[in-house]
Amino acid sequence: MSNAFQVKDLRFKYKSSKEDTIKGVSFDVMEGEIFGLLGPSGAGKSTTQKILIKLLEDYSGEISYFGKDLKSIGKSFYEEVGVGFEMPVHFSKMTAMENMKFFSGFYKQTANVQELMEQVGLWEHRNVKVGDYSKGMKVRLNFVRAMLNNPKVLFLDEVTNGLDPKNARILKDIISDYRNRGGTVFLTTHLMNDVEQLCDRIAFCVNGKLYEISTPRDLKLKYGKREVKIEYKEEGATLDRIFPLEGIGLNEEFQNILRTKEIETIHSGETSMEDIFIKVTGGVL
Amino acid sequence: MRNLKKLVLGELHRLINYKILPISLVTAIIWIIIFLFLSEEEARNIAPLLIFVDVSMMSIILIGASHHFEKQEGTIKSMMMMPVSMGDILLAKVLSSMVLGLESAIVTSAALYFIHGVTFNYMVLLIFIIIAGVAHAAIAFILALNSKDFTSSLGLLMAYILPFQLPSMLFTFGIIEKEYEWLLMFSPSHAASSLITFAVSSDYDALKVLIGCLYLVFLSIVLFRYFVYSKFKSNAVRG
Repeated sequence: MSNAFQVKDLRFKYKSSKEDTIKGVSFDVMEGEIFGLLGPSGAGKSTTQKILIKLLEDYSGEISYFGKDLKSIGKSFYEEVGVGFEMPVHFSKMTAMENMKFFSGFYKQTANVQELMEQVGLWEHRNVKVGDYSKGMKVRLNFVRAMLNNPKVLFLDEVTNGLDPKNARILKDIISDYRNRGGTVFLTTHLMNDVEQLCDRIAFCVNGKLYEISTPRDLKLKYGKREVKIEYKEEGATLDRIFPLEGIGLNEEFQNILRTKEIETIHSGETSMEDIFIKVTGGVL
Repeated sequence: MRNLKKLVLGELHRLINYKILPISLVTAIIWIIIFLFLSEEEARNIAPLLIFVDVSMMSIILIGASHHFEKQEGTIKSMMMMPVSMGDILLAKVLSSMVLGLESAIVTSAALYFIHGVTFNYMVLLIFIIIAGVAHAAIAFILALNSKDFTSSLGLLMAYILPFQLPSMLFTFGIIEKEYEWLLMFSPSHAASSLITFAVSSDYDALKVLIGCLYLVFLSIVLFRYFVYSKFKSNAVRG
């Protein structure tokens, strides 16, 4: 599997700011994976994404896109890339369909708009002006806009922000399906659920720096508590005990509770991604 | 070229959709009605002013309004994610902004001809409208890119009108002496207004036409190349 993006020692400073917003970050985004950049607002996630989609150009460091220097690639880059912005990006006095027709007219290759809009539940509202859409509908339309050109790489910024759980689930399923068909996704978010449910690898981003690039599973194994909590009934009361995960099968006390007590719940003590984030970065989401 | 055509058609579609073009047409019809009550000489005198206002001031307001509206809607950012050059995006906006001026010129010329039988060299007028229109589009972008919203853009327009438009008006009313007109030619608005007046009156001052054209072309190139082009993208990204 090749690298979709290879980023080395990336630094960026806004003209209006005194210090670097991005402070020498390095990471790879592999083809066919969902790579998540997780961090609080102002951490540099969106700036990193804007650099990768060529909206910001005065950066230092090296960025290659499928082996080519990103700076050397022209407008053809946008034939292969789809970008889902967090904020609405449509003409509000035009209908959703008019918007999609306008934007899709500029690509050599376009997706099936009807299919996409049906998937996100907007097809029956296609002739409604975007200005009359709810926030959630605009978010879903942003996603359709990002997928319009059948992109090879998809950039998504806070993709489920403002969506109800049902529609968030639908979008996540489409994104997973896109990845399963070979697509590459670069996701920036502060939502733990998105990261845990979608990302193959994640990087923690705080104050323009990256901490710990790994898979969610490995992070949990590395920073998780590795314990089992058991709740059981004894003489009418609910009691609980915590046992270390190591050697649990040989732990006599644990086995005894299982054999003799009425068990209410058993949970492995997985540390939440939020706890891991705080532990690793010292920051708060 | 294919993309430019699509971009221009998109801009025109939005001018209609946002009711700007229909309202402009209604305004032009009002001019026709006014022409019915004017003598030939009065109509010939007022026609350049009507065309100039649509080519310059209306174009500045239109570009300012659409820039801030599109920035607010995020559509400029979305357009930058398309495989089209920024030059094409800017050119499409300039061309569509000139539609109001062209529409005004066509309606005014038709009214002058059908009501008063006045004709002049329409091709010269078209060339002057294009030169004046592009220069004022550049000025419109400078004002829009240096303002945070449409209201502050209008504030900057007023600041532009005072030194560049007001002296020209004072000259028209005879308050500023004719010997100072050369100085006024440094005002893009006066240069544009003079060119349009020359075309409609068919009374050309060759030197002033040459200087006016060269000045406006030079100004357009400098403003677009060094101020608009470089700032347009960063401004859209910030939004």
